[in-house]
Amino acid sequence: MTQNSELIKSLDPRVTRLHIEEEPNPAPKPQLDQLETYELFLQKKEGQPYVYVGPVHAANEEVAFLFGKEQYSRRAMCTGMWVVKTQHVLVSGYADDNTSVYESLPALGSTPDAAEQAYEIFHLKKRGKAHQHAGTVTARSAEHALEVARQTLHAAPPVVNVWVIPQNQILREEEDKDIWATTPEKKYREAIAYRVQDKIDRFKAERQAQ
Amino acid sequence: MQDLALKDLLYKIADDELILGHRNSEWTGIGPMLEEDIAFSSMAQDKLGHSLAFYTLLHELGEGDPDTVAFMRNADQYHNCQLVELPIGEYDFSLIRHFLFDNAELLRFEALSQSSHEEVAKIAAKLKGEIKYHVLHANTMVKQLGTATQDSISRLQQSLEYALPFALGIFEPSTYEQELLDAGIYVGEAALQAQWQERISAVLAKTSLKQPDWASLQPVYGGRYGQHTQHLQPLLDEMAEVFKIDPTAEW
Repeated sequence: MTQNSELIKSLDPRVTRLHIEEEPNPAPKPQLDQLETYELFLQKKEGQPYVYVGPVHAANEEVAFLFGKEQYSRRAMCTGMWVVKTQHVLVSGYADDNTSVYESLPALGSTPDAAEQAYEIFHLKKRGKAHQHAGTVTARSAEHALEVARQTLHAAPPVVNVWVIPQNQILREEEDKDIWATTPEKKYREAIAYRVQDKIDRFKAERQAQ
Repeated sequence: MQDLALKDLLYKIADDELILGHRNSEWTGIGPMLEEDIAFSSMAQDKLGHSLAFYTLLHELGEGDPDTVAFMRNADQYHNCQLVELPIGEYDFSLIRHFLFDNAELLRFEALSQSSHEEVAKIAAKLKGEIKYHVLHANTMVKQLGTATQDSISRLQQSLEYALPFALGIFEPSTYEQELLDAGIYVGEAALQAQWQERISAVLAKTSLKQPDWASLQPVYGGRYGQHTQHLQPLLDEMAEVFKIDPTAEW
């Protein structure tokens, strides 16, 4: 008779290939020369809010901008890009769909003693979508900024997640209009622009006619 | 006569962009890191787009259609400088070439955007934003790697010394230099080279790379009038392989 332990062993490869160490604290791996990650936000048109597009690995924020521009704007027009080191992004807790993170913020306790500075606030309206710039607040810490955002931005639910980023940590590339003035017609970069079905149909029709 | 002078100018720009675009596309899939692979490939695609713009203008001036002109000539009919046809080598060489070429190309496009020839000025003005990004990319990477480790610095230094004589070949004087100047179409290669040298030196000064002894460099000329290295013909054969199977096919 089969043993119980084998009966309950999952056949799902996503589970069985995860050979997770049982030892609670494995020795730290040697530091690899991995590059840090940066997060990128794009503005599609003048006056529109910046929207999160994704991360890149880079040696510094100038290189992150270079990479970000080609990773995320090579197929479409845009008018500006913000770059921030991942470690500077404070991520709030997640709220359920159709509710707001702001309804369940943990109590802040006393207001921190640090100097006031500007923070950019980004809201995620729906899981699977991208965070979008919602406003700027002045606060004494990132956590404090969340509290201020709750009071001043009056965001209607849903807000399933919030990112808070100190304004002075963001590299903004929006002044040089020339560099964004790329050709607006970039369909040739996408496979979908190469329509071959008509040609295949025509070819088949010609063959049949013969 | 001015027509010949103009075509001479347009051919060298179009051929430079086509050949370097093709060369740089060879990095696709094997770039030093994913992000740089994508950036390098994307810039290579820009370059092919730039060559198309100038081949199209040449076509309007009575030359063959762009595909035929791009794919059906032999090596000795190409006007690109020899710098762009050299194999990609290792990344340090490709980066240095990109740095030396695109700094010159941006100056060329800035000058042409002021050209008395309206069509040329329009194309140059439209495309120079993309080249500005290419230059920003090249300068940032050279500054980064030119100050990083002993290995990266010595590799760049070696590639720089190898590439510089070829880079001076970008500025090989045209047979029609004076006509183009007189007609206000183009500022001329000598003026461009002087500005280019200043810009290159300014970037190099921010790195640990040693400046060349400019006076002792021997420019490699010939490319503008059909003299090429043994590397160009194999590139053309590969680039045009599919097209030549059936040049009349509709794509």
